[in-house]
Amino acid sequence: MMPPTSPQDFPACERSGSRMNCQVCGQIHRVIPLSPGERARCVQCGAVMAKASRHGMDTALACAVAGLFCAIPAALLPVVTVSKLANERAGILFTGVAALWADGMRMVAVSVVICGALTPILLLGTIVALALPWRWAPVLARPLATAARVFEHWAMPEVHVLAMLVALVKLHTLVGVTIGPGFWCYAAMSFLMLLAWNNFNLVGTLPVTSPVGSPR
Amino acid sequence: MSERWQLHQRASCARTAAFAVAAGIMLVPANVLPVLTTSISGHERTDTIFSATVGLCEDGLWALGAIVFIASLAIPFLKLLGLGWLLLAAKRGPGSHSPKLTRLYSALDIIGRWSMLDVFLAAFLTGVVQFGSLARVQPRAGIAAFAAAVVLTMLATRSFDPRILWKETAAEPALSV
Repeated sequence: MMPPTSPQDFPACERSGSRMNCQVCGQIHRVIPLSPGERARCVQCGAVMAKASRHGMDTALACAVAGLFCAIPAALLPVVTVSKLANERAGILFTGVAALWADGMRMVAVSVVICGALTPILLLGTIVALALPWRWAPVLARPLATAARVFEHWAMPEVHVLAMLVALVKLHTLVGVTIGPGFWCYAAMSFLMLLAWNNFNLVGTLPVTSPVGSPR
Repeated sequence: MSERWQLHQRASCARTAAFAVAAGIMLVPANVLPVLTTSISGHERTDTIFSATVGLCEDGLWALGAIVFIASLAIPFLKLLGLGWLLLAAKRGPGSHSPKLTRLYSALDIIGRWSMLDVFLAAFLTGVVQFGSLARVQPRAGIAAFAAAVVLTMLATRSFDPRILWKETAAEPALSV
């Protein structure tokens, strides 16, 4: 990123031709190509405005596709098997949601589904759509990029994984606990989602709306 | 400064304040009401967030107690304090503290999600520990209030436009339409 240019109107974190503004402080910058592994920081507030993946956009695509594949067994296979005396019970990812729903905690159940399962899968799907090697029409690319940011904010599978680990350690003192394959698939999906997002150059997917001179 | 930008600035602060106040109100029942009832072999125990944290420490699970304390007690209150500070700073106008305030905003945005830990924990335990009279975990009203408080604090952070803190030094940004 180069020092600021003359003041112009730009929507939040919008790339317009060879210029782009910082979504944190609004400072306008000229866009220049980044080398692999480089990060572009705002000259005013220091926020990371763009990053170029060390391994390219294909890494994000590969991680997102692998994450989507992991999501299927994560949802279907047992996350944990709990035993007390002769009783045994296997729980899948949505067992807790179903129990909360049955207990009348419907809003809590919905928030768990949205933050723990729905938005991570939607984020992975959006990354796949944007990282595919063809250019989306601006009318589609911009809403997809906006959706990716929203999904990233509400997707928190890593928090869910930590919560499950805390619960498993606590349960271990009360009942017999065996971790199931669903847990490992969910943890893998969570890790792959973070890897995909970290290797994903959102700015690079935004369409150039009104070219104003050379990118350098 | 355009009138449109001033309107956006006021709307952003008003939305943030509204969500933050609502979150603060929801944090009261979230911390006063019980969140879980655990019944193991006829012995029943009803816990609030604080008593559950103390219970983990009493069982020798200090690390877990610390995690739950930070995620469920410290972060929501720190987040509300931070948002209050940002709103006051936005009212005073930009100054030399803008870089520090921007870092504070970024930190609040990052740490907020970890408060959902308690909600996920309650959902997981409720689903897995269902052995009738032998062992059972049931959610209580406190967890619904806590989930609402967490979502409201996240909405409050999202409603705050950090560009407000920079309005004199940055080029005046346009509004997203």
